Amino acid sequence: MTARERLNQLKEKFGPAIQRADLPGDSRLFAYVEPATLKAVCQYLFRELDARYVISIGLDDRPFSGKFLVAHNFAFDRDRLLCSMLAHLPADHPEVDSIAPAVPGANWAEREFRELVGIELRGHPYPKRLVLPDGWPDGVHPLRKDVPWNQVPADFDENAEFTFDDPPAGCTVVPFGPFHPTLDEPEHFRLYVEGEMVRGCEYRGFMVHRGIEKLAESVLTYNDIPLMAERICGICGCVHNVTYAQAVETAVALRPPPRAEYIRTIMLEIERLHSHLLWVGLACHIVGFDTLFMQSWRIREPIMWIAEKISGNRKTYALCVIGGVRWDITPEVKVELRHLLDKLEREWREVVAAVSRDKNIQKRTRGVGVADQALIKSLGLIGPVARAAGVDIDCRRDHPYAAYDRVDFAVITDTGGDVWSRVVVRMNEVFESIRIIRQCLEKMPEGPLQASIPDELPPGRLGLSSVEAPRGESHHFVITGENNRPHRWRVRAPTYQNLQAVPMMIKDQQLADMTISLGSIDPCFSCTDRLETIDLKSGATRVWSQAELIRLVRKT
Amino acid sequence: MSLLSKLQETLVCLKAGRVTLPYPAQAGPVPETFRGRPIFDAARCIGCAGCASNCPAREILVVDVCQEIRILQYLGRRCTYCGRCADVCPEKAITMSREFETATDRIGDIRQRLELFMSTCQRCGRCFTEPSPLEQLKLKGYRFDDVQNERWIFRSQAYLTSEAAVDDISIDLD
Ligand code: SF4
Ligand code: SF4
Repeated sequence: MTARERLNQLKEKFGPAIQRADLPGDSRLFAYVEPATLKAVCQYLFRELDARYVISIGLDDRPFSGKFLVAHNFAFDRDRLLCSMLAHLPADHPEVDSIAPAVPGANWAEREFRELVGIELRGHPYPKRLVLPDGWPDGVHPLRKDVPWNQVPADFDENAEFTFDDPPAGCTVVPFGPFHPTLDEPEHFRLYVEGEMVRGCEYRGFMVHRGIEKLAESVLTYNDIPLMAERICGICGCVHNVTYAQAVETAVALRPPPRAEYIRTIMLEIERLHSHLLWVGLACHIVGFDTLFMQSWRIREPIMWIAEKISGNRKTYALCVIGGVRWDITPEVKVELRHLLDKLEREWREVVAAVSRDKNIQKRTRGVGVADQALIKSLGLIGPVARAAGVDIDCRRDHPYAAYDRVDFAVITDTGGDVWSRVVVRMNEVFESIRIIRQCLEKMPEGPLQASIPDELPPGRLGLSSVEAPRGESHHFVITGENNRPHRWRVRAPTYQNLQAVPMMIKDQQLADMTISLGSIDPCFSCTDRLETIDLKSGATRVWSQAELIRLVRKT
Repeated sequence: MSLLSKLQETLVCLKAGRVTLPYPAQAGPVPETFRGRPIFDAARCIGCAGCASNCPAREILVVDVCQEIRILQYLGRRCTYCGRCADVCPEKAITMSREFETATDRIGDIRQRLELFMSTCQRCGRCFTEPSPLEQLKLKGYRFDDVQNERWIFRSQAYLTSEAAVDDISIDLD
C-alpha cells in the first residue's frame, strides 16, 4: 500500500482529525493529527493496521509555529513506508495523551520527551524519571529552545539520590552493574532474585547521556554533525553517520551521486562484518568459551585494517558529509578487499562448521533469553533479536537506502527466538555481508563522490531515515532549521528498543543466564544514552610527556 | 558429534598459529591514508579561519592580536582526527600526519600555534581573484558557523590578555 492509500485509510477512519499531510514521495508520510485523536490514531496504526512502532519525538517548535510538537513514528515494513504522526500542542501548557498503554514500546521515548522537552503525559503507566540526572531540578527542560546548551541549573543538587522501586515480596535484590566485567559501558540492573531465579528487574541507565542532540541544534552545523554522530557508538558509528546524512538528504530532497551510495553500502557492510565477528567473540567470552573469542577476533582484525586503509581509521570512518562521502575506494583497495573477503569467508566457514555442532555452547544458549513474537511486536524489537524469532524485518530490504536496492542478498531468519538463534542469525549474516560487498565492488560506477549544494538547505523540512545497524534498525528524525543546523535531530539507536525487553527476557530464568541474555541483544549503551565525548580530567600527579610515554612502552 | 566439533575448533586454532603483534613494544606501520594528528604549516596558512569554523570539535581558535597579526591555535585536546580541517583548507596548509601515539600529560606536546602576518591588499582590498578560497568552499557545500555567535572565531580584539578567552581554555602568551 502506498503512502497515499495509507493516508486515505486514516482519513476515512478519522475524518477531519487528520488536519494536514505531507507526502514527499511514496515511502514517507507525515500526517498532522488533532492532539485529542493522536492516541486513537496511533492505536489504530499499531493494533489494526499492524504497523511497527519506531520512536516518539517531542520538540520545542515555538520559534517556528509558536507551539510544541510531538511525533510518533511507525513503519510499514512490507510497504516500504515510514510514517510520522505529528500533533501541535499549545505553548502555554503542552500536554498529550500517552500512547504507551496502547503501544508499550513507547514507554521510554515518551518519558524522555516529558523530561527533556517538558511535554506532560496523560495516563502514562510508569512516569518515572529516565534520562536526566538525579539532581536535576524539575521544571527545567534542557531541549527547550530557551535553555542554553551549557546551562547548569542553579538548584542542581549534587547529592540527590536515585529512588529505587521496592522489590516484590520474597525477592532479594542483586545489583548488576553499573560496572560489570561482561559489559564495557555503565548501566545498572537491579535484579529481583528468588533463589537462583530472576523474577524481575529495574533498569537504570542513561549514565553517559551528554546531550549530543542539544549540541547539534545549538552549536554544531550540518556537516559537523556526521562526525559527532559517529561517536555516538564505538561499534556501529558509521551507521549513525550515514543515517544522519540520509535523514537530512531526504528532508531536502538531495540525492548523493551513485558512487557515493555504493561506497556507503560497502562501508556499512564492512562495519557489520566487524561488529558481528566482534559480537560472536564476546558472546563466547560471556559463556566462558575463550578459544572462539580469540579466533573470531583474529579473523576480524584484517577488516579493521582495510577500513583503516580506506578511511584513515580503524573504526571512526568519518565517512559522510551531507550529499556524499569523503573517501574513495581505489582500484588497489578493491583488489585487496576482494582477497580479504575470500579469506574471511573461508575461515569463517570453518568456524561456523565447528561451532554449529558444539553442544557446550548450545547448552548455555538454547531456550535462554527468549523473546517471542508477541513481545517483539509490543515493544518494537528489531534486528537479529527479531529475526531470530522469525520476524522477517530488515531495513536494508524493507526501506532500501544507499545501494541496497541494487544488490541481491537474503534476510536470515531463525525460529527459536532464544540466544542460540541469535548466534545462528549473526553467524550467517556474515556471509550475506560478504556477498553484498562483492556485488558492490562489481557494480560500483565511476563518478563524483559528493553532490554539489549550491544553496543553503531550506528550513522546516522533515526527514526520516532508517538504516539496518548490526544490532537492528537505527532511526534518525531530522527537522531542518536555520543558521545551517537542524532544528531538531532525534537519534533512535536499536538498543533503545531492544533494551526495554531485557526485563521480560530474563524473567523466570537462572541468574547465571542473565549476562548472556543481555549480551545477546548486542547492547550498546552509549548509543542508547547518546554519548558525545568524555573529557576526563587526569588526576595523575606525575606529568608524562608524549615522548616519555612512547619511550615507556617501547622498553622491552 | 561434540567431540568432532572440539577437534575442528582445535584445528582452527592450530592453523592460525601465533598472530599477536609486538605492540606497543614496536609500533607497526600505518597506511598512507591514515588520519593522525593534524600538522599545520605556517608557511602556507593564509589565516582564513576556514578550518576553525568547520572543526566539529571546535579545536582551532583564530584570534587577531592587532591589525596585522593573527594567531591560529590548535588546541589538540579533544581533536578527533577527523580531518575536516585538512579537507576544507584552501591552501593545503594542514596535513593529517601518521602520528597516533599522542597520549600525554603535557598539552604543550600537542598544541600548535601559528603567528600569521596579515596584510591588506593595497590594490583591491581583497587578496584573491573570485571566487575567493572561502567562496569556493561554500560552493562545495561547506557552511560556516554563525558569525553572530563569534564564540570560536574572535575578530579583531585589540590586545589579547592571558585571561581565559573561552570558559575552559586559557591562551598562553609566550
Ligand atoms: S582533525 Fe577534526 S577535530 Fe581535529 S582540528 Fe581538524 S577538524 Fe578539528
Ligand atoms: S583553513 Fe588553512 S589557510 Fe585557512 S586558517 Fe586554516 S590552516 Fe590557515
